[in-house]
Amino acid sequence: CVCVCVCVCVCRWCWVPSWLPPWCPTSQKQLQAAEERMLHCIRAAFTRQFVPISDGNRLWTLTFCSDAVEDKTPVVLLHGFGCGVGFWAQNLDALSQHRPVFALDMLGFGQSTRPLFSTDPREAEDQFVESIEQWRAEVGLESVILLGHNLGGFLAVCYSMKHPHRVKHLILVEPWGLPEAQEMTEADRPIPAWIKALGAMFSPFNPLAGLRLVGPLGPALVQTLRPDFKRKFSSLFTDNTVSDYIYHLNVQSPSGETAFKTMTGSCGCAKRPLLPRMDQLHPAIPITIIYGSRSSIDSNSGSAVRQMRPASHVEVITTRGAGHYVYADQPEDFNHRVLLVCEEVDRSRNEPQEKKGS
Amino acid sequence: MFPLDSPWNISFAGCGFLGIYHVGVASCLVEQAPFLVRNAKHIYGASAGALTATALVTEVCLGQVGASIIDVAKEARKRFLGPMHPSFNLVKIVRHVLRRTLPDDSHHRASGRLGISLTRVTDGENVLVSHFNNKEEIVQACVCSAYIPVYCGLIPPTLQGERYVDGGISDNLPQYELKNTITVSPFSGESDICPRDSSTNIHELRFTNTSIQFTLTNLYRVSRALFPPDPMVMKAMCKQGYKDALHFLKRNGLLHFNGPQTDRPLLTNREDEEVAEEEQDGKRREVKDQLLVEGKALMFYGSSSLDEHIIEYLPPTLHKALVEACMERRSLVQSLGNLLPVRMASVMMLPYTLPLESAMSLTLRLLEWLPDVQEDVGWIREQILKILQCVLRQAFRSFSQNVSARLFCQLELRHYRSLPSKPSSTSLFPTWMNSSGSSVQDVFVRLDQYKKQLLSGVLCINMDLRGSFKTGMTSPDSSRSFSFFQQDFNSRSNCLNVPHDGKPGKPLSRSKSFW
Repeated sequence: CVCVCVCVCVCRWCWVPSWLPPWCPTSQKQLQAAEERMLHCIRAAFTRQFVPISDGNRLWTLTFCSDAVEDKTPVVLLHGFGCGVGFWAQNLDALSQHRPVFALDMLGFGQSTRPLFSTDPREAEDQFVESIEQWRAEVGLESVILLGHNLGGFLAVCYSMKHPHRVKHLILVEPWGLPEAQEMTEADRPIPAWIKALGAMFSPFNPLAGLRLVGPLGPALVQTLRPDFKRKFSSLFTDNTVSDYIYHLNVQSPSGETAFKTMTGSCGCAKRPLLPRMDQLHPAIPITIIYGSRSSIDSNSGSAVRQMRPASHVEVITTRGAGHYVYADQPEDFNHRVLLVCEEVDRSRNEPQEKKGS
Repeated sequence: MFPLDSPWNISFAGCGFLGIYHVGVASCLVEQAPFLVRNAKHIYGASAGALTATALVTEVCLGQVGASIIDVAKEARKRFLGPMHPSFNLVKIVRHVLRRTLPDDSHHRASGRLGISLTRVTDGENVLVSHFNNKEEIVQACVCSAYIPVYCGLIPPTLQGERYVDGGISDNLPQYELKNTITVSPFSGESDICPRDSSTNIHELRFTNTSIQFTLTNLYRVSRALFPPDPMVMKAMCKQGYKDALHFLKRNGLLHFNGPQTDRPLLTNREDEEVAEEEQDGKRREVKDQLLVEGKALMFYGSSSLDEHIIEYLPPTLHKALVEACMERRSLVQSLGNLLPVRMASVMMLPYTLPLESAMSLTLRLLEWLPDVQEDVGWIREQILKILQCVLRQAFRSFSQNVSARLFCQLELRHYRSLPSKPSSTSLFPTWMNSSGSSVQDVFVRLDQYKKQLLSGVLCINMDLRGSFKTGMTSPDSSRSFSFFQQDFNSRSNCLNVPHDGKPGKPLSRSKSFW
């Protein structure tokens, strides 16, 4: 199977002349246009630019920083797997009213550079963490509130382990990669052999290989399989803006996607799960974990984190009526919760100063 | 903590034979948190979910429901082709079972509370039926909601004068978008009560609102939705449903709201006084528990001591009913039939027995159909007429367009020939058009006359307008018309024509304003 993959890659990048129309109807320009449409409804003023980091890589960044809220601790939004900055469309306005907000496309995703990641899970993880740190230094932020969804949550924790003094508060939304892989317990319901064979057949491929394989049918496939995204953003768009955006985000050259696959072990868990190494996280960093009540991600690991860190602040919040994309399913509740948490951070920051002053 | 101060709903997803999972969930809710079912504002269901929703609202014994589902599954598995065998009549069985189990006053209990998702045949829109005038209407609504076209039959059933098919086609999880709807689905995905597979997959698909993750177990479940698995597997599914519902209650701090109710029989026929008393009791406890929970934010996880004395087994009535249903009555004939040579022989004989059986069951079905023949045939005739009308209209439109386009071309040609600027225009046409004799032109002129007589006013007016447009361009400046003509002759071939009734004044002014 690896051979087939390599062959396909070679065919696509070397032999097939470049003047042939691409198999997947996508390009950087189309992605940019799709994102533009996603962000069209945002009323707050913001700037967007590529922030250069090392090795010629650039991270696409949206900056919301009005003068009124300049002195507050900024929030940095890290999106999840297969997402981009456009997914925060329903949250950016509300959050940016109260504090500076930075949303970035992570390395290997969205409009950011898509480099070749290491095939070692530890090194891939370090590459991600290093890119975030370089980005922070380039933007010039002293300390931040890190908010990560899915893969972003995982990387936020990894970042906080390495650079604890930069993180004032961790907000994990449906984080990926917390629990350890469990033994398959299919005692009372054996799975037929043909289904197992099918599973084995698909396992060597990238998570989104199918979307690239169908080529021109891709946009229609996204619309058919995920009509729920249209509903999630129905307050902003009535057309296929979201599914187009998802399509263009995910069919471009798989870089972050491959890194994600490298870091993923059996049955979708992380190869280097976070729970066993939670002790590496500085106890002074408070954590808020937000789950959706209907999500398939097991919220038990949230309470496990709380048990492992009895001396530090760990709060687990379950949002009613929300699935995995909490911030899109119940944007009002989500924004409200996040802002409460952030205010708490600034209050606790100001208190010691006041004491010193008096 | 589940917010009990605002109204909530329960919604059961459609899932074919996996409906046994819903029975497990429902029995857990009734057993461990009866107030959750009793005080729910609405209980929705689609397809198989509608059956469980009906059972919950009408307070039918759930053990009986579970046993019936397993019986139906056994009936479906009995034959060689499974549920596709012609003698397996799902609709008839479901209708019979519902008529037998539902109490006579069920429409009083169900009206306003039960919501059954249906797909209207005429426009494919989703309809949530929640008002029932009699028991028969509930039965018919359930049959409609479970009526998967082709799998169950070809002529959709009627409810209150409308034809409906399976609700899962348009909305498989009614009202899931409401925050306070407890969604129940036997496929692991994003539902409040659903199995949690050990392998988490980021991919997921939505089938008319039901979230289904791409996992191997789900693939197995989907493959078993219409082709029922072994009764023992179904029993395991029921148990899984019970466990998942228990997990949900635990997670939301709803367990032990009404105090531990371990060895209580399932709700069958309860006196009203008792209900009122329990409700009061429940309210008191609710308030107390709410205070307790609010004090200790999110206490519901670490409480492992709670888990231990909860029996993670099905309620005894349900368990007994399921076990009985699963039991194979091993008579001598059956055990003989299970021997390998006999089975092989029956498979070999299939080409001969199948047509015979099909003919038999077909006759039977025809006989049963007799009372509805008149209505159904009327409906079929109506549908066919509609389709024919549509096709004819389409065909006529394309035909008339075709003819008129050719006519206009031809007339155009004639017109240009009579004009002084003849060479420029004729050079544009292919030679065959120029060389065509006058007889062809005559034919077309005649056709044009026919058309004028035949066609409706709309098209004629259309032709007039087009004609005027053209004169406006030819008369003032032939060179401009030439270039214009050259540019898009092909696309406008049916627009270029001659005013056949000559109105020079008006068209000119129109064309000027146009340019």
